[in-house]
Amino acid sequence: MISQFFVLSQRGDHIVFRDYRGEVPKGSAEIFFRKVKFWNEDEAEEAPPVFNIDGVNYVHVKVAGLFFVVTTMVNISPSLLLELLQRIARVTKDYLGVLNEDSLRKNFILVYELLDEVIDFGYPQTTSTEALKSYIFNEPIMVDAGRLPPLGPAAMFMQGTKRMPGTAVTKSVVANEPGGKKREEIFVDIIEKISVTFSSSGYILTSEIDGTIQMKSYLSGNPEIRLALNEDLGIGKNSSSTHDYRSSSGGGSVVLDDCNFHESVQLDSFDIDRTLHLIPPDGEFPVMNYRMTQEFKPPFRVTALIEEAGPSRAEVLLKIRADFPANVTANTITVQMPVPSYTMRASFELEAGAVGQTTDFKEGTRRLEWNLKKIVGGSEHTLRAKLTFSQESHGNLTKEAGPVNMNFTIPMYNASKLQVRYLQIAKKSKTYNPYRWVRYVTQANSYVARL
Amino acid sequence: MSGHDSKYFSTTKKGEIPELKEELNSQYKDKRKDAVKKVIAAMTVGKDVSSLFTDVVNCMQTENLELKKLVYLYLINYAKSQPDLAILAVNTFVKDSQDPNPLIRALAVRTMGCIRVDKITEYLCDPLQRCLKDDDPYVRKTAAICVAKLYDINAELVEDRGFLEALKDLISDNNPMVVANAVAALAEIQDSSARPIFEITSHTLTKLLTALNECTEWGQVFILDSLSRYKATDARDAENIVERVTPRLQHANCAVVLSAVKIILLQMELITSTDVVRNLCKKMAPPLVTLLSAEPEIQYVALRNINLIVQKRPTILAHEIKVFFCKYNDPIYVKMEKLEIMIKLASDRNIDQVLLEFKEYATEVDVDFVRKAVRAIGRCAIKLERAAERCISVLLELIKIKVNYVVQEAIIVIKDIFRRYPNTYESIIATLCESLDTLDEPEAKASMIWIIGEYAERIDNADELLESFLDTFPEEPALVQLQLLTATVKLFLKKPTEGPQQMIQAVLNNATVETDNPDLRDRAYIYWRLLSTDPEVAAKDVVLAEKPVISDDSNQLDSSLLDELLANISTLSSVYHKPPEAFVSCVKAAPRADDEEFADAGETGYSESPSQGVDGASPSSSTGTSSNVPVKQPAAAAPAVAAPIPDLLGDLMGLDNALVPVDEPTASSGPPLPVVLPSTTGQGLQISAQLVRRDGQIYYDISFENGTQGVLDGFMIQFNKNTFGLAAGGPLQVPPLQPGSSARTLLAMVFSQNVSPGAPNSLLQVAVKNNQQPVWYFSDKGSLHVFFGEDGKMERTSFLEAWKSLPDDNEYSKEYPNSVISSIDATVEHLAASNVFFIAKRKNANMDVLYLSAKIPRGIPFLIELTAAVGVPGAKCAVKTPNREFVPLFFEAMESLIN
Repeated sequence: MISQFFVLSQRGDHIVFRDYRGEVPKGSAEIFFRKVKFWNEDEAEEAPPVFNIDGVNYVHVKVAGLFFVVTTMVNISPSLLLELLQRIARVTKDYLGVLNEDSLRKNFILVYELLDEVIDFGYPQTTSTEALKSYIFNEPIMVDAGRLPPLGPAAMFMQGTKRMPGTAVTKSVVANEPGGKKREEIFVDIIEKISVTFSSSGYILTSEIDGTIQMKSYLSGNPEIRLALNEDLGIGKNSSSTHDYRSSSGGGSVVLDDCNFHESVQLDSFDIDRTLHLIPPDGEFPVMNYRMTQEFKPPFRVTALIEEAGPSRAEVLLKIRADFPANVTANTITVQMPVPSYTMRASFELEAGAVGQTTDFKEGTRRLEWNLKKIVGGSEHTLRAKLTFSQESHGNLTKEAGPVNMNFTIPMYNASKLQVRYLQIAKKSKTYNPYRWVRYVTQANSYVARL
Repeated sequence: MSGHDSKYFSTTKKGEIPELKEELNSQYKDKRKDAVKKVIAAMTVGKDVSSLFTDVVNCMQTENLELKKLVYLYLINYAKSQPDLAILAVNTFVKDSQDPNPLIRALAVRTMGCIRVDKITEYLCDPLQRCLKDDDPYVRKTAAICVAKLYDINAELVEDRGFLEALKDLISDNNPMVVANAVAALAEIQDSSARPIFEITSHTLTKLLTALNECTEWGQVFILDSLSRYKATDARDAENIVERVTPRLQHANCAVVLSAVKIILLQMELITSTDVVRNLCKKMAPPLVTLLSAEPEIQYVALRNINLIVQKRPTILAHEIKVFFCKYNDPIYVKMEKLEIMIKLASDRNIDQVLLEFKEYATEVDVDFVRKAVRAIGRCAIKLERAAERCISVLLELIKIKVNYVVQEAIIVIKDIFRRYPNTYESIIATLCESLDTLDEPEAKASMIWIIGEYAERIDNADELLESFLDTFPEEPALVQLQLLTATVKLFLKKPTEGPQQMIQAVLNNATVETDNPDLRDRAYIYWRLLSTDPEVAAKDVVLAEKPVISDDSNQLDSSLLDELLANISTLSSVYHKPPEAFVSCVKAAPRADDEEFADAGETGYSESPSQGVDGASPSSSTGTSSNVPVKQPAAAAPAVAAPIPDLLGDLMGLDNALVPVDEPTASSGPPLPVVLPSTTGQGLQISAQLVRRDGQIYYDISFENGTQGVLDGFMIQFNKNTFGLAAGGPLQVPPLQPGSSARTLLAMVFSQNVSPGAPNSLLQVAVKNNQQPVWYFSDKGSLHVFFGEDGKMERTSFLEAWKSLPDDNEYSKEYPNSVISSIDATVEHLAASNVFFIAKRKNANMDVLYLSAKIPRGIPFLIELTAAVGVPGAKCAVKTPNREFVPLFFEAMESLIN
């Protein structure tokens, strides 16, 4: 079972340290930190999340730039430990509003109180913010969330767009608002991370969507909620709907490969009307995770060309086309392309009238970087670059450069076409009409075009 | 409450402790609470605030839960250092355990269990008894865990007071949280006890399966893990369990999913219906794949588990290879694992896709990953015969990019491909030769040289190519030298022209005279003798013999180890790919299917397992070039020596002192000695010998048996340089031997300065001559234990100090799965007779742990930890020594001593 739990800063300082069983020799936090910092001395290789030094097993995750670590002396399930660490981070964030070194230090007594309820003698007890509320007595002390790096997938709503209520997600679920009464509201976020690999000729080699329906409820009295999804939603690639899916591919039903649900979700009527019933616990939690490999339209088409242009010179052409409706805008787009290691210089030529675009040649990593503040649906953008080499190329430029990698966020867009048809909250009274936020966002996970 | 907790960290000028003391005794509640917070703050940053014990405990009697919790937190920390004062808290604890507020009752029991002070333990029993039967489930579930705490402090007390039975009753509790904690507590108690305590009957099974659906995700993991101990009675029983567990695969918590997978895999073994099994495989695939959408840390754990699962049941994920394609932003540890699984799932059907991926990875930035990708292509070529050609053309494409490490890695795998498909792809050799001068890594060089030697007859300028390496022969690493030697011999046998002849002369000279490496020298002598006796037949038969075809090793785990690891799916063991005993110090042997030994899996013992996980998990397909060397059996070559070649043997020994003449005969007797020179080799003379230690002196116990027709006399003996510089201390005293007679003598040995450099070995190369016969050479392999000195005994304290002062890198361990220790005393005595001295002993569960010491010449100590259960096969030996190069020899010696 879990022997110790600790949180270390990036510099290795103890922020939280709790020993549950007193069986691990002293100095484990230092041993851990040294090992992780210098996992592979000459190469900047990342330490795997699970390792063993001198009979002590260390399991860690990195959250918000902090190391969340547990140690154990016995052969237990590391996935349990990893899940637990993520969950502790989430519960702490629920309580503190923001999770960082500062907020942990300011609230250390509350954090210890939480840890005592979450883990007893090394056994995880409960990690539900809702359930914990009855046992936790300390009040959180808020820190200024303004400049702090946010945590979790919902954090992306804070960047760029004004449509989102920016501060709501950094509000503690337990703290009382200064005004006295809490605002009744609920957030349902459909977050999709898409991975696409284009071949050099532009074909889609692999494509995948990892989606989550994330919920954060600030409703008082825990009313029941009904969340209705696409009526024709299919589950399982080899399910009976295979036939329909083939015939309707491109336009029709959404077929998920697999999905799983939060334990609060009642699936009684899911098979009939694709509706989820739940009484949402307080705090942020994933209602449903899903995975889809069914063909979908990638939001961006990426074309990249590299050609020799005389001895020790080459030209690069990068083109991206936004294949989504014009009323949707993608933001914080980054396109990166590794170039041959003997590239000395790169000069860029942006398209005429380009706004909010920057380019850079990262000498250390030999990459071209192209940043675009936003891209409106349906538009197309190109970048030309001239490379100067320190030697003649081997005549194999396409092997030595690329692949092109793209990062972006598209709010109010989801590639899978999975929809929340309606979000119904059981009414307590006639005047009860809480705020409901249903938000969609698509993010690049591994969006790659090969040369 | 106002302000920030962090203000408690600030210090004041007055001196912290007295000021805190004052505040703790304040008459105002708020001030006291603030003071306790300050104390806790000081405690967490490591300041010693134990002197405030009484003052803090005084604050304990309060209705304020927030304050009470803080005081309890303090108590847990300091009770151990202040056991007498801790008693002060007992009354409040006992009172609190009967408080009307269930939170306070639970808090009291939870905290008391954490205070590991014997005196308190006694007082804990009554409150615990009450709380186990409390009306409130929160109190009961806390009490259940408290039983495990108490068992850890005082197991006897728990059994005497009947807490185990109470715990078992809780399995039938109506609250699933209570059931889950009772299960967790029982499982832990079972783990530290040899007696059966927690046995799952079909009755408890039903209860657990019911609770499974209702409890928290963590409780589900406890229950699932304890269900894995249950042995289903038959196929129907197994199917029933699987049916109840399968819905867990839909859980969002990866730990629940993996634990459910474990149960299903275990029960599947019993299910006979192929339809059911096929159906289950189908159901497991999507959730397993979904694990790869989780955080990278969980992906890593999932991938290590999937690696095991596909080895056992490749069909489960046979169609899912695409999900293992590496993503651009995967951490390197995830990419490495994905690559491994891609190789395992590669088939004729998907190989084109897979190769496309590998080719792409081979041009990425991360060097380790690129190398692994190149090797992966080679492994696929070896695994899939029909795809071999495509794999090779990809490798050739990669070579053309001329990235140095890619080329070298490609050459290494191509050598393996040549071994797998002899005489098929030699047309590509010309392309390989183009990259010859860019090679700078030993393994790549050695591989290329092997290729040149093996196909010398097809490479027109093979002699020029090899010659280019010869200039630097003395500077090359041993791996390259050995290959150069063999390749030159092959070249000479295939093209016995002038050029190669000169080359071979140079190489043999280099390898015999100017080297300190015994392997190289031995091999060179064998070639030399082969060539000088019968180059046409003997040499060609041996050197150019057909080599066995190698096979694919991508299913590298031994099947019994694999089964054990599969039984441990979703545990650390399945991430390290090591049985639990190898890294958990006090584990009670997990129920293992059978007692088969599992190779050397536990060999690395406590070393850093995960680095094993990343790098060591997949021994690359090239099994070390030296094992590919065709001439592996000097024994087969030795009898070919017919006539002595005097000029060759002249400096075989490389020593200038002359052979010692024989004087007076001495008789000796004892148990029969191992034969070192059989009479068939010695033309009728048989020599048996062994190194022995008597009264602190090393002797060479040697016996001669004359099977010839005439008298043999004038025996002399000579020892070659060896690791310890062992040499004859005086002349060999053997009388003239009549036909059919024998003589045995003890030759005292001394330590001389003639120490052979290089890695230590226990090889003793001996030359014996007499007046009638040619000189006989033989090798004797001594055991290190004859070198264990009488001065090897260490005091307990100095042993401890020495153990601590040696870095952990110097600790090695080895398992002796077949060794049985029938009595500790007898073993200790037996070891002492061989100068392995007993220092201390401790009992760990059912295992005995012995601490011993030994010392070899030059004052090199060995600190030994020997772990075994009496009468049970399997012993484990861990050793620390400053001179790690002696460790293999030590383990050998230890093995002979404890068997």
